[in-house]
Amino acid sequence: MQNNKKKILVVDDDDLHLYTTRELLQDEQLEVITHKSNHGIGVTNLVRELQPDLVLLDINMPGISGDMLAKLLRWRDTPFIFYSSNDEESLKESASRFGARGYICKGDIAQLKNKVKQYLMVKRLMTCI
Amino acid sequence: MPSETIVSNMLPVGGLITSNEQVMPNESVNKVAEKFFGTTELDAIAVVAGEKPVGLITRTKLLFTLFRRFGFELYGRHSIISLADTNPLIVSEQRPLTDVIDMALQRPPQDIYDDVIVTYDNGAYCGLLSVKQLVIQQSNALASSILQKEIASARAQELEKISELKSQFLANVTHELRSPVNAIIGLAELLRMAAEKNSIEQIKERLSFMIMSATNLRTIITNILDLSKIEAGKMTVLYQSVDVTALIIEIADTLRILVGNKPVNVEVSTPIIPLIITTDPIKIRQIVTNLTSNAAKFTDSGKITLMLKLLEERLEISVSDTGIGIKEEHCDKLFVAFGQVEDAKTKQHTGTGLGLTISKNLVELIGGTITVSSKFGEGSTFTVLLPLHNNMAHQGER
Repeated sequence: MQNNKKKILVVDDDDLHLYTTRELLQDEQLEVITHKSNHGIGVTNLVRELQPDLVLLDINMPGISGDMLAKLLRWRDTPFIFYSSNDEESLKESASRFGARGYICKGDIAQLKNKVKQYLMVKRLMTCI
Repeated sequence: MPSETIVSNMLPVGGLITSNEQVMPNESVNKVAEKFFGTTELDAIAVVAGEKPVGLITRTKLLFTLFRRFGFELYGRHSIISLADTNPLIVSEQRPLTDVIDMALQRPPQDIYDDVIVTYDNGAYCGLLSVKQLVIQQSNALASSILQKEIASARAQELEKISELKSQFLANVTHELRSPVNAIIGLAELLRMAAEKNSIEQIKERLSFMIMSATNLRTIITNILDLSKIEAGKMTVLYQSVDVTALIIEIADTLRILVGNKPVNVEVSTPIIPLIITTDPIKIRQIVTNLTSNAAKFTDSGKITLMLKLLEERLEISVSDTGIGIKEEHCDKLFVAFGQVEDAKTKQHTGTGLGLTISKNLVELIGGTITVSSKFGEGSTFTVLLPLHNNMAHQGER
């Protein structure tokens, strides 16, 4: 069977967060690729190779700011959502400033599942039109 | 400038009096003139009746009158009050400097340099104040007020910087606390899912991750509490005789577990066994464990050496690694809370950066110092110098 699962790339510096996010989203029938960020190296190449439907991007990583990665991703026209342990207010602010498709607070599992699904649904509708 | 020399322009003039010369109203003009001749630095004399000042004689005005034709003959035998200014400026000793200067300078031009008479609260004569002295004091006051303003604004800037650091610290702490809590929430949900599927393997795996997160959270909380305890001066020090060699060997054993499968050798080097010093063993353990767990975190291969060296009156404990090393420009920021964090969005290393701040504070608490030397890409050495004997009497809360 052709794999028609939607592809989500999760970029984070913390193994545990990568693990939990992958397991939680796989349960939603999504293909999840995790990437442990090492100073932001290789993220843009990975995006070009995988062509994910959506990137979940931590904005607190060693060596590179999520803001910087966001700029790169926007340049590549890759949709991404900020995914962080920061508080909602600062996330909301960063998301609008850096052209993210939204933000998800780590630890809010319902929000994680809903926002990802919502985004993919909207994307499908948009491509139909 | 030390505070005692700071002159305020709100200073009461009572303290600035330059002379307390006085004569009675019925003193002869000749006698008073002799006084002026005899004392060249005398500029003015107050005329005092009983205790109250009733007039002022100034050198220039008196001598000007007397030196005119027949001046001495005309006035010499008169009582001095007839030539005195009977409406001089009289101020209470409590009046502030600025007020008196204003009043003195508002006098008509011919009187402007006359001394000012200062009285006690009850109106009794206290002394004379020269305008020269007033002006000197005023300019001192101005200078010191400028200085005070500069000191105040420097202090304000300093406080602002501290408050900025504190709020940055708080922002970082919040993030560092949220991260493991969020991992625990995610893992709990995953555990629930695994339990529904009856997948023992998944449950086992996720439980061990959860314990890891919880332990990490506990470390962060302990660190934050320790730091606030130190800042509040509530950290207790308990000195006793300690065999540091045994302590270091024990820490090395824990370090070997921490290093795990990485190709890293843990070595201990010590001159004599046992090596007994008087110190707080709990603090030493916390300090050295902090250093070794950092070494373990940042060293992927090579070795970590724990070395004890006996110097004159001091004990040197060093932890060297062959890890990633620290750039020179980052070395001084190491011991500042969250110093490794450039801003909340760009971290240099993982972790809270609280460990080294706490270590430094603890080392200082037990009378020692901590330094770092490092070569980026080659490794780091942290060196702790401790006194061999702390006075056991000096313990308790610091």
